[in-house]
Amino acid sequence: MPNQSGGVYGLTILSPIKQDPHLKISHSLAIRMYLQRLPQDRRSPFARVSSTHMARLVVMDDVVYVGSPACEEHLQAQYLVFESNFDGDLDTYLRQMVREAPKEVDAVWQHCDGYPGLADPGQFVRYMKRCQIETTFYFADVNDKTVQQTLRALQTQSAVAAFIEKNQGRPAAELQKAFLGVARALRNAPAPNPGNAIGREFADE
Amino acid sequence: MSNIHGKAYAMNAISPMKPWKTWIVRAVFFLMRYFPSATRNLVNLSFIHFARWVIVRRDAFPRLSAQLPKDNLKYDYLLFFSNFNGTWNQYIDAFSAVLSWGLNTIWHWSEKFPGAVPVTPLKNYITQGQFETDYYYTAYPHATTNDVKAAHRVQAAFDELAAAADKPADEFEKAYRRFLVRVQGDLGATGELPVGTE
Amino acid sequence: MSKLDSTDVQGFALRGYNFPLARFLFLRIPNARNGREFIARLVEHVETGELWVEGKPHTTVSVAFTYAGMAVLDLPQASLQTFPVEFVQGMKARAGILGDTGKNAPDRWDDVWRQNPVHAWLGVYAQSAPELEEKCGEIKALAEATDGAQVIGSQEAAALVIDGKISRKEHFGYTDGFGNPDYQGVNRDTQPGQGKLSPDGKSWLPLATGELLLGYADEAGELPAAPVPHLLARNGTFMVYRKLHQNVAAFRTYMREKGELYPGGEKKLKAKFVGRWPDGTPLELSPNHEDPAVVADKNKNVNFTYANDLDGARCPFSAHIRRANPRDAFGFTGRLANRRRIARRGITYGAYAPDSEPVDDAERGVIFMALNASIFRQFEFVQQQWIEYGNDARQGNDKDALLGNHEGAGKFMIQGSEDAANPPFLCARLPNFVELRGGDYFFMPSITTLRMIAAGTVDPR
Repeated sequence: MPNQSGGVYGLTILSPIKQDPHLKISHSLAIRMYLQRLPQDRRSPFARVSSTHMARLVVMDDVVYVGSPACEEHLQAQYLVFESNFDGDLDTYLRQMVREAPKEVDAVWQHCDGYPGLADPGQFVRYMKRCQIETTFYFADVNDKTVQQTLRALQTQSAVAAFIEKNQGRPAAELQKAFLGVARALRNAPAPNPGNAIGREFADE
Repeated sequence: MSNIHGKAYAMNAISPMKPWKTWIVRAVFFLMRYFPSATRNLVNLSFIHFARWVIVRRDAFPRLSAQLPKDNLKYDYLLFFSNFNGTWNQYIDAFSAVLSWGLNTIWHWSEKFPGAVPVTPLKNYITQGQFETDYYYTAYPHATTNDVKAAHRVQAAFDELAAAADKPADEFEKAYRRFLVRVQGDLGATGELPVGTE
Repeated sequence: MSKLDSTDVQGFALRGYNFPLARFLFLRIPNARNGREFIARLVEHVETGELWVEGKPHTTVSVAFTYAGMAVLDLPQASLQTFPVEFVQGMKARAGILGDTGKNAPDRWDDVWRQNPVHAWLGVYAQSAPELEEKCGEIKALAEATDGAQVIGSQEAAALVIDGKISRKEHFGYTDGFGNPDYQGVNRDTQPGQGKLSPDGKSWLPLATGELLLGYADEAGELPAAPVPHLLARNGTFMVYRKLHQNVAAFRTYMREKGELYPGGEKKLKAKFVGRWPDGTPLELSPNHEDPAVVADKNKNVNFTYANDLDGARCPFSAHIRRANPRDAFGFTGRLANRRRIARRGITYGAYAPDSEPVDDAERGVIFMALNASIFRQFEFVQQQWIEYGNDARQGNDKDALLGNHEGAGKFMIQGSEDAANPPFLCARLPNFVELRGGDYFFMPSITTLRMIAAGTVDPR
């Protein structure tokens, strides 16, 4: 299944953007202006759609003219490109978008042709799938770890570096006691938030 | 800079292909799926979190409005989306220097592709076909793919050590020393991207 | 294969001058007419790249210009616009990109670099103090006679004299001056290990000439971007000048304190920071002790790769020489490093502080000069991505252990093995061992270009 690599799904959606020559601010410009102001950190809607490793939204104005002897041609519509790399299956993901980020999904896709709104999640899923383009080849450097596993591993990595610094040269019994403390702290630590920097939360353990 | 979030760069590029050549590119990707050695160099370069190629046939751009005239395109289009680490120049320099064979195999079939070597005409072609990202999100912005892979290795070693942590102290110490050697190359700090990176 | 006319290239670009003394003069040029007259007379003194048949000269003179200097000389605007953007902006404006913040920030630089821009750099090397004075006197006389240049600052430099003998050591006690790259067509004392690896990884080849000089093919198989017209660029190169103050007291204290904790001992700890023992023995060739025989052997002392040290147990990933020139450490037979090489011309300044005495905080350090065809692709890339950042070395944000702008934070992980004398060891809370005191980006024109500029005959097209 070319959209998938291991546990990660590569979603590519091209949604045609509405055209209305009477508007002062076109639909595509409205999308761009909205996206400019959307937060990218843990307040991002995609942080709530928490199986998202990486995602982007791109207004694609047209195809490219590469110069003679190639022919010049143009698309009839502009497209909103949604490229996402996430854990799990497509249906679950699209439904998670509806549940976790309805405001933002609406604000963006209302500018696109055929967008049915979010009252019926099933209809939304069908609408998005109509605009899905199959990924021809998908490469994922790490394809067998979820977002949560990755965040936890980064947390552990930071804690281990801090631990080594603190306990270098300590005698065996103290070392072991300190290690058990860090292991416990990491086990009990709350799930790290996506979209955030990983800090030195365990620097003082 | 909306193409960048944390340490990742979101590149989008498009190039036109004569429809009879599209089949060749599909065949290339088919082979790449079944011969993983083809992607080994990509893995060793270790610049890319996720990347994809998407062929859009000339009659397949989605159309949902009855009012919208049908596209009347001569070419199929090859879309490329990459999530990579490092600077734009470094990324293309590296591919041109060590993966030119791969670049050529995939893009030779795009109209007016100049070849992966030398690098300046390649950069000009990419600049022409690249379009800006409007919104970019990454779940672990302060980690490159190297950092992520290192973290997974550290986690695995840590879990093993934690499982043995109730042994007698001097046995634990020996296990800890082995653990240190195992993770010693994987402890780089995560953080911000260098400023003004191009 | 490039044909190199070395008499047209300034000698400083082709080989380092191992002279005991140097003085660098920083000039302002008042106007184009007088400036050109000064250059017309100066060019007679400028050392070319021709080989010295009758032994070393007593002095050498080299000259280079900032963008501000080229602009004052009234080069056509259309030509000025073809200089690369980093050169046009100058090093001070690029401080953010280079990580020159905090202790290295421009507001802490020497006056001459903080104030009105320097237009030209003159490098005068000499065999003795009287000869240095004489040559500088001649140049000053030229400047006054033409009213074409004003010396607004100068920097003394000299090889360290230790126990009455001229030494190759720098102030931290490391023997320096290894590992300058080998370029096609450049006639110099080459050594195996200075060039790039052959495709089979078994021998060394010279780098493409265009990695150093404009107008020749570079490692990417094309002519590097260069100012227009050819007459302006050909046989020229770009120079980065950085005055690096060395915090000898902080260095000695840190090494002594950590050296007591490090099972390998203080000297080995020092070796781990650089990748060479203080006497210059590369860790890759001798991981456990200094080896004067290796140091003395030209065929050995820069001849190594990292292929047998992929876990860093001999030379750590953040050791200075491994960061500055990774060779084959990133795989692909070193091809990812071939376009990031720089030629270095370094010389110490300030009084040597013997080990046995406490160190004062007097001015001492290294004048670092790098030569490359593209400041952006070569020097700036290494500084930004490999010195002040560690992703390519797979060390995340960790910096070059010795040169990094640590600011009391950051860490240096020394990779080791199960050998008790070479264990993994973490050095944290690194101070700034080195601080930037100023500098800029310069263009070092060929002899032909100098004469054309002097005559005012540079036309863009």
